[in-house]
Formats: sequence, C-alpha cells, structure tokens
Amino acid sequence: MKKKLLMQFLLGILLIPYGVLAQNTNATINSNLSGTIVDESSREPIIGASIKIKGTTHGVLSDSEGRFYFKTGQKLPYTLIISSVGYDTKEVVAKTNNIDIQLRANNKELSEIVVVGYGTQERKNLIGSITKVNPSEVSSIPVGSIDAQLQGKVAGVQISSATGVPGEAVNVRVRGATSINADNDPLYVIDGVFINSNSLQTIGTGGKATSPIADLNPADIQSIEVLKDAEATALYGSRGANGVILISTKRGNFEQAPKVNINASFGQAKAAKLWELTTGPEHAQLVNEWWINTGKDTPSLNRTVANRPFRPVSEGGRGLPEEQKTYDRLSEAFRTATLQSYDVSLTGGTKTTKYYIGGGFNSQEAILKPITFNRASFKVNLDQKINDKVQIGVSNSFTRTYRNQARAGDGPQGGLLQAALHTPTYLSPYNEQGVLVGRAGFDNLTLLLENYDVHSTSLRYIGNLYAEAYLLPNLKFRSSWGVDYNNYNESEYWNTFLLLGAQGGLATSSITQFSSLLNEQTLTYRQKIGEKHSFGAVVGNTLQSDVLTRTYAEGRGFANNSFTIISSAATTTSTQSWSKSNLASFFAKADYSYDNKYLFNVSVRADGSSRFGSDRKWGYFPAVGAAWRVKQESFLRDVAVLSDLKLKASYGIVGNQNGIGNFAAQGLWTGGASYQGSAGIAPQQLANPDLKWERTNQFNVGVDAALWNGRVAFELNYYTKYTRDGLLQLALPSTTGFANYWSNAAEISNKGFELNINTTNIQGRNFVWTSSFNLAQNINNIEKLEAPLKYGSRDLILQQQGTPLYSFWVYKQLYVDPQTGNAVYEDVNKDGQITVADRQIVGSIWPKFFGGLTNNFSYKGFEVSAFLAFQYGNKIYNHNRFFGEGGGARDAARVILASNLARWQKPGDITDVPRPDGVNVNNYRDGGSRWLEDGSFLRLRSLNIAYNLPKAFAKKLGAEAFKVYVNGTNLFLITNYTGLDPESSASSDQNAQGIDLGTPPQPRSFQAGFNITF
Amino acid sequence: MRALKYIYSIGIVALLSSCADYLDVKPLESISDTQTIYDKASSETAIRGVYSALASGNYYGTTFQSIGYLSGDNIQWTGSQSQVQEFINKKVNADNSTIAGAWTAIYVTINRANNVLAKVPTVTDPLLTETLKNQIIGEAYFIRALAYFDLARTWGGVPIVTKPTASPTENRGIGRSTQAETYAQVLKDLDAAEPLLPLTTDRYRATRKTVWALRARYHLYQKEWAKAEEYATKLLTDTNYRLLKPFNTFFANDARGTQESVFEIFYSANEPNTHRNQWQPQTNGGTRQWAPNDAIVALLNDPTIGGTRSTLVAKDNQNRWYGNLYYRTPASDPSYIIRIAELYLIRAEARANQDKLTDALADLNAVRDRAGVAASTAASTSAVLLAIENERRVEFALEPHRWYDIVRTGRAAQVFNLTDANRLVLPIPAGELLIDKSLVQNQGY
Repeated sequence: MKKKLLMQFLLGILLIPYGVLAQNTNATINSNLSGTIVDESSREPIIGASIKIKGTTHGVLSDSEGRFYFKTGQKLPYTLIISSVGYDTKEVVAKTNNIDIQLRANNKELSEIVVVGYGTQERKNLIGSITKVNPSEVSSIPVGSIDAQLQGKVAGVQISSATGVPGEAVNVRVRGATSINADNDPLYVIDGVFINSNSLQTIGTGGKATSPIADLNPADIQSIEVLKDAEATALYGSRGANGVILISTKRGNFEQAPKVNINASFGQAKAAKLWELTTGPEHAQLVNEWWINTGKDTPSLNRTVANRPFRPVSEGGRGLPEEQKTYDRLSEAFRTATLQSYDVSLTGGTKTTKYYIGGGFNSQEAILKPITFNRASFKVNLDQKINDKVQIGVSNSFTRTYRNQARAGDGPQGGLLQAALHTPTYLSPYNEQGVLVGRAGFDNLTLLLENYDVHSTSLRYIGNLYAEAYLLPNLKFRSSWGVDYNNYNESEYWNTFLLLGAQGGLATSSITQFSSLLNEQTLTYRQKIGEKHSFGAVVGNTLQSDVLTRTYAEGRGFANNSFTIISSAATTTSTQSWSKSNLASFFAKADYSYDNKYLFNVSVRADGSSRFGSDRKWGYFPAVGAAWRVKQESFLRDVAVLSDLKLKASYGIVGNQNGIGNFAAQGLWTGGASYQGSAGIAPQQLANPDLKWERTNQFNVGVDAALWNGRVAFELNYYTKYTRDGLLQLALPSTTGFANYWSNAAEISNKGFELNINTTNIQGRNFVWTSSFNLAQNINNIEKLEAPLKYGSRDLILQQQGTPLYSFWVYKQLYVDPQTGNAVYEDVNKDGQITVADRQIVGSIWPKFFGGLTNNFSYKGFEVSAFLAFQYGNKIYNHNRFFGEGGGARDAARVILASNLARWQKPGDITDVPRPDGVNVNNYRDGGSRWLEDGSFLRLRSLNIAYNLPKAFAKKLGAEAFKVYVNGTNLFLITNYTGLDPESSASSDQNAQGIDLGTPPQPRSFQAGFNITF
Repeated sequence: MRALKYIYSIGIVALLSSCADYLDVKPLESISDTQTIYDKASSETAIRGVYSALASGNYYGTTFQSIGYLSGDNIQWTGSQSQVQEFINKKVNADNSTIAGAWTAIYVTINRANNVLAKVPTVTDPLLTETLKNQIIGEAYFIRALAYFDLARTWGGVPIVTKPTASPTENRGIGRSTQAETYAQVLKDLDAAEPLLPLTTDRYRATRKTVWALRARYHLYQKEWAKAEEYATKLLTDTNYRLLKPFNTFFANDARGTQESVFEIFYSANEPNTHRNQWQPQTNGGTRQWAPNDAIVALLNDPTIGGTRSTLVAKDNQNRWYGNLYYRTPASDPSYIIRIAELYLIRAEARANQDKLTDALADLNAVRDRAGVAASTAASTSAVLLAIENERRVEFALEPHRWYDIVRTGRAAQVFNLTDANRLVLPIPAGELLIDKSLVQNQGY
C-alpha cells in the first residue's frame, strides 16, 4: 500500500510542470482553503493530485491522505482546477473552506474503469478477458443497432450484417459458436437488465428478422463491455457461453451543473453497386443456346434451331434476340436513401441527485424502397442519495420503433427483389393491353411498390429500479428489480393487384408481447487486511421470468381494395400462443490480491431452469482466475521502457439454455390436429427427462503489456472452449414418427487467439495520431455429432463431425471440359456417376482471421477517424448466382446475370461457366461449387472528419462546445466476392448462414452533423 | 449485521423451497404425453389426429401426391424448385426434398395410427360403445394400410412399425422388409379393419366400403384380378356411388363429397390444402410450380380423347396452361384419394386380364361416356389394356396415378423410355440413411 502511494506521489510530481509548484509567498493572504481529493467510486484518497487556482499559477499537490492546503491572496469564491494521472480533470468552485472533491477515473490505460459482472474494476486488476468499447467511436455508422456498429471493434467478436437494411438482425459471435440448436448469440445486459435479443418478428420478409437491439438508442449508451472468457462471464454462469455484452447507459454526476447536449445529423445512402444483368438480347441469345443444346442432348425433345424460342415473330417466335428490349427494374427499386438523426440530452446533478434525460429520433430509409426504420426514444436515469449510506435509482428507457418492411430475400410472392432483380430483363412490365403485369411468377414491381403495406411497431420499455445500502463501511447490499417489456405489433396488407392478395386481398395482424421480469439481490464486501492483502466477495441471487404471447389474425376476401382491416374480410382465421420460462440463480464470487501483484478470483453460480428435465434443472458453473502483475515485481520496476506487464489465466465452465423450446424436455401432444373442423390430438414431441444444461469449458491465457509509458499497449489472449452436452434437436429416423427430439448430443470446440494493440503514434503539441488494431482467429470444429445435419436451401450447409459448423456441402466442380463444354464434378466415390454421395464439404463461413483497424488523428480542433474492418478466408455461397446463371434453362422464369455470358460456346473455350443445358441436370446442378466464393473483404467502415469550433467562438454562440462533422461509411469495399456484399446472408436461421440469395447490400452513406453542448 | 445475514439466509431457504414449483412450468398449448387417450372424447380426437396426418401438406396435402403425377408424363416443371424436375426427368436423387418430406409424413401418420391402435382398445369409458371403439380402431387400421401401401408402391420394401413410439430409442434400426412383406402388412391391416368398420357411406372417413375400394386397388397392384374385380364390384353395385355428369361435377363450383367420391380428404379455411398453391398461376395467388405439359393439354382438349375432361386445364392471362383441379379460395379443395371412376377402371383392367373383354369394355366405356367420349373400339386384350392405360392417363390427368400405373404394368420402358429397372422405385431419402444405419438404399441410387 505504501509503495503504491509512494509511486503515485512520485508520478504526480514528475508530471506536474514545475511552474505550477512555484508558490507566490509575497502576496497578501486573503484566504485559507483546505480539502481532500478522493476517488469518486472507491472513495480512496488520491495522492499527488494537482490543485490549481484558475487564472493563477498557484498550485499545490495533495498529500498521502489526499489532503491539500492553500494560503492565497485570492478571495473566495474561486475556481480550482484539479488534475491527476488516471483521472478526469475537474473544475470546482470553492466557496468555503474544507471542501471535498471527488475525481472520476478517466478512460485511459491502466486505470480505465471496466464494468464487470456485478461491479467495476480497474483494467490493471482484470483477470478476465474484457474489451471495452466507447460507443461514440461508432455511433455515426447508420445501421440502426449498436451491435451492428461494433463490427471490427472488438477482437474475437465477429459481427456481420446480413443485409443493408437498418435495424435488421445482426449476427454476433463472441469467440466462435458453441451450439447447433441453442442460441449462439451473446447475452445483452443493459443497466443490469437481461434483455431479449431474439426477434419477435413473425411476418415473412424473405428469411430476415428485425433486431430487438435496434430498440436501443446508441446515443444513450455510455460504455459497452464485451465479456469473453469464463472468468469474466462467470457471474452470468448459465448465460455466459456466448459472451456477455454489458451496456451501461449514461447517468448524471453529482454536483454537476445542468448540461445540454444536442446532436443532429443528416445524410444520404446509396448502394455502391447493383447486380449486373444480361440485356434483353443477351438473355434471348442464351435461351436459344440452351434450347438448341438440350435438343442435341435429347433429340426426343424436338428442340431445334428452327423452333428456337427467340425466332422471328413471323415464324411464331418471340422475335429475334436482337429485337428484344431491355427493361431496367433495379433502378426503380433502389433509391438514394435519406438518413436523419436527432438526439438531445440533459445531464447534471445536485449534491444528492444526479440525472440523465435523453430523447432521440432516428429515421433511416433503406436503399431498397420502401423500407424505412424510425426510432423514437426517451430515457430517464435518476440516482438519489438518501443519506451517506443509502442510494436508490432508476433507469428507464422507452422506445417506439416503426418499420416499413418488405420481403427482400427468399420467397416468390410479394418479393421485392424477385420483382426487381429476378424478373427477366427482356419482359415488359406491361402486357399487350398496356396493363401492368407481373412476370415470371413474380409481382409487378410498380404494382408491388404501390399496393402493399407491411409494417411493424415495436414498443419497448426497459427499466430498472435499485436500492443500495452500505450496511457496514465495507459491506454493500443491493436489490434490483428490472423489466424488459416489448409489444411488437405487425400488420400486412396485400390488395388484389398483388399475387398474395389475388383472391380478394389478404391482411394479417400479429401482436407479440414479451415480458421479462427480473429480481436480483447482491451483497458486496471489500476489505483490506494490513498493507498487502485485499479481499472482496459478492454473493447474490437472481430470479427471472419470461413470458411470450402472440395473437395472430388473418383475413382474406375483401369487398374491394378500400377495405384493409381484417374485420371487413370474408374469411378470417386466428391463433394464439403462450410460452413461459423461469430461471432461478445463486452466485458467489471472491477475489483476493496480494501486494497488487498476485490476483485471484474464484466464483460459482448455480442456475435452475424450467426448461430442463425434472432432475436436471440445476446446473453449477464454477470459474477460477489468476493474474500476475509482473511489472510490480522489483526486477521489472526499474525497466523504464516497460510500463506494464501482466500475465493472466482463467478456467471455468459456463452454460447455455437459450434458444431451446421452453418445454423442450417434456413429452407433449398437440391439440391442433383437427380434421373436418373438429379438434384432433396428436403426438408432438418426445420427452427427454435427461435434458440438461449445455456446458462449455473455457480456458483463457493472456498477457497485457504496455510500453513507453503506455504509448504502445497490447493484449494477447489465447483461448479454448469445449462444449459438452450440446443442445441439439437430434434427428430421429422417420420410422419413429418424429423428426427429432431435444437432447444433449453435440460436442463443439472453439479455439483461437485475439490481439489488441493500441498505440499513440504521434503525441505532438497540436497533432496526435493514435491507432487501434485488433485481430482474431477462431478455429471451430464439431467434435461429436452422431449423424450429420443439413440446413439451408438445397442442403447447402452440412453440420458433420470433424468439420466446422456451417460448412458448405457441395458438388465440387473441377473444370469445364474445353471439348464438350460440360462441367466436370469430382466423383468422390469413383462410381462413374455424380450422385449425392459425391457431395463434399468445401470450406465454411469461418474466416481464417478477422479484425479491425482504427486510426484517429487530431490537429488542433480537427479530428479525423478512419475505421477499417476486414475478414479473410471465409466462404460464401452465392445462391443468387445459382438462380441467375441458369444458362437460359429457366427461360422466361428468371433473370440471367451478366456473368453467365462467360459460358462455354465452342470447343477450345476455357471457362468455368459450362454450356447452357437443363437445370439441375449437370451443368447447372443445385449445390454446385461454382457458386461457392471467397468472402474475404476489407472495407472502410467509416471515415469521420470533425471540427471543434474554438471555445471562444462557441462561447459567442452560447455554447460550451460546438462540433461539426461529416462522416462516410463503406466508402470502399475490397473483395473478390462477385455478389454485392460478402456479408449477405439470406436467412436468420443460425444454421443457414453464409447463403446469399440477393439482399440489399450495406450502403455507402454520407452524413453531416453537429454536436453542441451548453 | 448478523441479523441481516440471518434474514438473508432465511430468504434463500424460502426461495429454494419454492424453487421446485417456480421451475416447473407447464405449457398451455399442449398436453403431457402421459395422459392422451383415456376416454371417449380423447379417443375420438385421437383418430381425427390420424386423419389430420393423412391430410398434411407432405402427404395427401401436396407432396406425396405430387410424386405420383410429376413422375408420369403429364406434368411439366414451371417454377423455381428444381427437385420437381428430377421426377419429370425420372432421375430422382436421394437428397430430393420431396421424397424426404413424403417419407416422413407417412411415418408420422403410421405413428399416430399406432397410438390409436395401442391405446383405444384399453379405454374403459362406458360412453365409448363397442361399436364406436371398433370403428375408431378400424379407421386406424385402414389408414395404416393406406400408408404402407403408399410406401410399398413408391419405395418398395420399408421398415414396418406397428407400435407407437414412446421414447427416442424405440422404432428405429428396424431394417427394411421386402416389398412383398410390406404389401402383406397392407393386407393384414385391411383384413383387420374390414370387420370393425360399419357398412355406411362416409366420403371423408373410412368405412367398410372404403376398405373394399382400397382392396380393389391393392389386388390390382398384386395382379390378383379376380379379387380386384370382386372388391371393385362391391362399390360399383352400391347406389351411393356413381359417375357424375358432366365430368367436372365432382370438383367444380366448390363441390365436395359428391357421389363420385369414395374417399377424399376434407379441407377448410382453417385446415387448408396447399395443393392449389402449386397449380394455380400467380394471378390467382398460386406459384404455378408445375403445370400440365403440352402433351396432356393436347389430349385433354381433344374432344375424342379428353372430352369434358378438358375442364381440368385452363389458361392464365399470359396464355399459359395451368391445372385447375385445385382452385378454391380459401384453399378448401378436397384431395381425392379414391373416386368411383377408378373402381370402374380397376374392374375393367381386372376383367380384361381375365379375358372378359366385353365386361371390361363396359366398365371402360362407362368412364368414357361420362366424359362425353365415344365408346372404345378396342378388340383384343392388349388393345383393351392399352385403352384402359390411356384412359387412366386422361381420367386422372392431374391425380397421382400415372407413374404407379406404368410401373405396376411393367411398361415404363415403352411409355417413359425408362429402361433402368432400378429407377422404378424411388431412393430412400438420403437423410434417413444417415441416421438409421439399418436402412439399405435401393439399388442404383
């Protein structure tokens, strides 16, 4: 302890300019002022802090008990400026003698305060692997939800946006994926409330889902901590296997004058590129080729040059290829989207109250008409000290998220991209009578855009009420009650101009309500024994109850298109559902540190879940961790170049139960098997009384180091995760009459490393350049799986023992025979024919490595920040090309992509696109590897340029600070992928990732805005 | 402090004891499988559950039926799902999703029937009369017979399951019986069903007459001509069944349960039939995933061949033909399993094979007459058989017969140009082979 104090004292002295220390002893003494400086959160005295009277050169340092003393010629009141290493500089108006000043630790280096499970810690004392993100670095990226903004910011966390539609679900994987049928999504905890992150969407939008995380306004968020290893997530035991994302919203400060912050931005977004399609003549040419080729292959078809489809009209054909027109539908469907965002907040506090009030409105159009995302949010956080020992507080956030939606993925009817992209370009949108008609089995784009209405409104309240009391100076009791309530109201209307509404119109309404009630008690104890021993403990319990209900109604057959509400439909059907799960948990954690050198943690959590078999409800999840702050040892203390060095290791077991059915362990019969309008019952699900927790053993070893006084800081972690009793809907032979049952049957491993480097490259007087780089690798493998499982369209994904999750199962095309023009596939079993037995695994969605690089430059008032995200070595299946490279076989039923023009035409042609023949016969076989592509990319996620107006100028405007900025996202994308966006994924099914069926790409956007603080 | 800890620990103890209840959450939409069939009402609802499996989208709803007509030579593929094309090309891969769906749906039906067969006999509710109990059991036997019949004619020999599945370890690894053994199971179940069922007329549920109708078809497939004739005659002499004129009377104008029908599946707005979705053009809210091909359109529109059966096809606003047997909104079209026309043609074929040509022609011409087509002039046995084959093609143009007819008569090489005998049965779904090692794939797949 003494050494620590001494060090801080010395450090303080070193860093205070000597001028400050010079005291003017000749002046008349007009006042005496004494006080103490303490740490705001730990309330420990701060030694060596510099206290300076504003406008003078007069300054002193605090002593070993944090006390300071002034004799000065100044008359009270006057302003003090207090600064100390590791703390934010603070100005305090001194009115009377004996003032207490609290400093808040700043966000830099070792003393960075990191929010951990049920508490906070300084980074230097962390044992677990936790990455902290400052949301302001990414808040200008217009994607709707905070998780999407984090892409590339956190080592080991892979985030991909499956579409460019703002507010849609994002795939977040912390250190790989551990489960096939249970969730792989991390747990989100906001101000202590475990929130729902599963979409409540029920209407079909082409395999996509909206993101419940988009209900949070990123502007309200103070900090985000991503907890990755077992030590960090231990106190979330049952929920920690996929990592925990702790979100802390903004709160006020005690004794802070009211501060108003206004932020506004406007911008536009546009697709960087769209699909290249064949023209009408090209399409017709390919169809003719296909016709003639198949005629040659199978003479009985009687397909010849003479009766080719595109022959002169006079011969009964559709006209020669060169006579065909080209109709551009894509530019009708895509637009330059408008983005706007406004946030206002008020923070402040009195001696006993602090508050944060925030309001925001965010409106983003998608680049695909008519999709929009609107979020209006309102937040109030209040903390009230009752006395020195007791404090209560509330967090409230209320959000209304309104979305105009579209089917922009799989599925023909009502599909916007089907109408815009998949319709052959040579087909006119009008029929002979000049009436708009749908083609190729899809809706007419113009009619579609004008005649459907699909929208949803999410009302979300997330709130928390807490009371905490110091029962003893070292013992704190906290009780917290939380709510996550979400009312999700969707409706669809398709009138008679549309395929879905063809039979008198179709309207649906679905109201889903999710509520999660949470109660939690913790007791926290912290004690120093002697000089060298520090001991802390937390015990607590949590009760959580989740209820999901849904009411759905559907109406068909309206009198005319003026009636759009189900009550006026001729035929109505409705249904209702209800589901509930309960969780009870007890946890305890103890930490001990010796001499600030050796740190130990041990924790255990017991979770009981209503989802499991009667004797298997409880799971026990222990974790241990240790760290050695090597720099504190005498042999390193004098090595100046090394400013910090810490070795850490942790091991623990965490659980998972999310994503499985609430009644997964029970044997059930359904009452829904009706016949002839009378109720029927039927077996629904087989019981598994042994169903239990999925458990992941996690090991982490890491080193944290800093060089040259923190100019270079890096963290390197190596981890292994091994999941046992993996929750799986184990496939049953159909002879049982069941498709599958819930079991603990899979074993999956993940291992990898994560590297984080933060550097201050240039630290000039006016010019500062800092960089932050992260890189991670995760190797995933299915260690045990009784029988392979197939997912995705055309079984493109195969989960199989010995290969990674989400591996692509394809017919491997070796080459196109230059003589015949036919694709040659690898005959794996060498039986001379290509059958399903020749499908093989070729690559997976996992990148070999991924990460991000951020560079920040500041020069005087200017700030420039450039943020790159990248991944390398992953595969993506361009299923859109499968459809668009039908080689003419789909004729008038599907567009042909321009890439199909590279087809083989005559002997000697070297190409990988075979000659057109039948669909799924050979050359255009479902699941061919030709469409499996490299999904590596490097993208400039965002570029920010900001200018802080000079203080004096800001003052003239009545503002404390005034910042203007411009920002661009996705300004470039470097990739070999031939689709629009290598992150595209058609399905929100976690087992069918990496299949691109044509979705709106992440747009390129430009925004300008300002931020004023009063 | 000590007091507080004490209070806290009391709280924990209280919590723990209530935890058992707290963690015991029961669903509201389903019931426990330990209390399923125990009285009259539950017996009645359970048998309806078996019919609902028969009616499911993957069985008689759409998928299984589609195998029968797509594999023939009447239908072309006009949609995006290329597994359809495999049937038309008669090159079905083991990973075809249609066969997987149908296979699974049929075994789901069998398991539901097995539950009824195992549990209803043990019910001791006095309200459940012996007659009603027998009827329910008989219906379950009938449906199981139909299920094994469909399995046998599509895949050959299959695993035979006759007990309900109560746990994941049961009814697996059974291995395939031969096709003959599977057909024997069909006959055994039909034999069991027959005496239990009442001699009534119900076109949506099985009666003794429905059993006879299926037996007629069964014996036809077994080439047991006399028996086929015998059982067909039982229906054909029943005045509750007759050929209706014009042809479309049995399906047009939202008709259902007509006298034409021996057994059809009931659908309604709440229990829709997905079939129309595949057949109807987009302008009628369908996908036109498949459509009648040029050949069958020509045959149906030929007044000397199709006659009034031309009403099975129609043209959409882009001048494309589509099948119009399933067309209703809401999608309440029945799925037709056995029509009286089939029994005429069964008896015609059975008689022709017994060289009763006059009688055979009488039956054949009854069907032709109903369609407004002149009587057949076929004179030899082979000519009559060919005439029957051709008649079946147009009479059941959009119903699932053509493939099975050509396969059972051994004429696939001549008619479909399908010379690979291995292709006369479909492959066992690849997914089933992966999870049940006792299954052996059919030759050639």
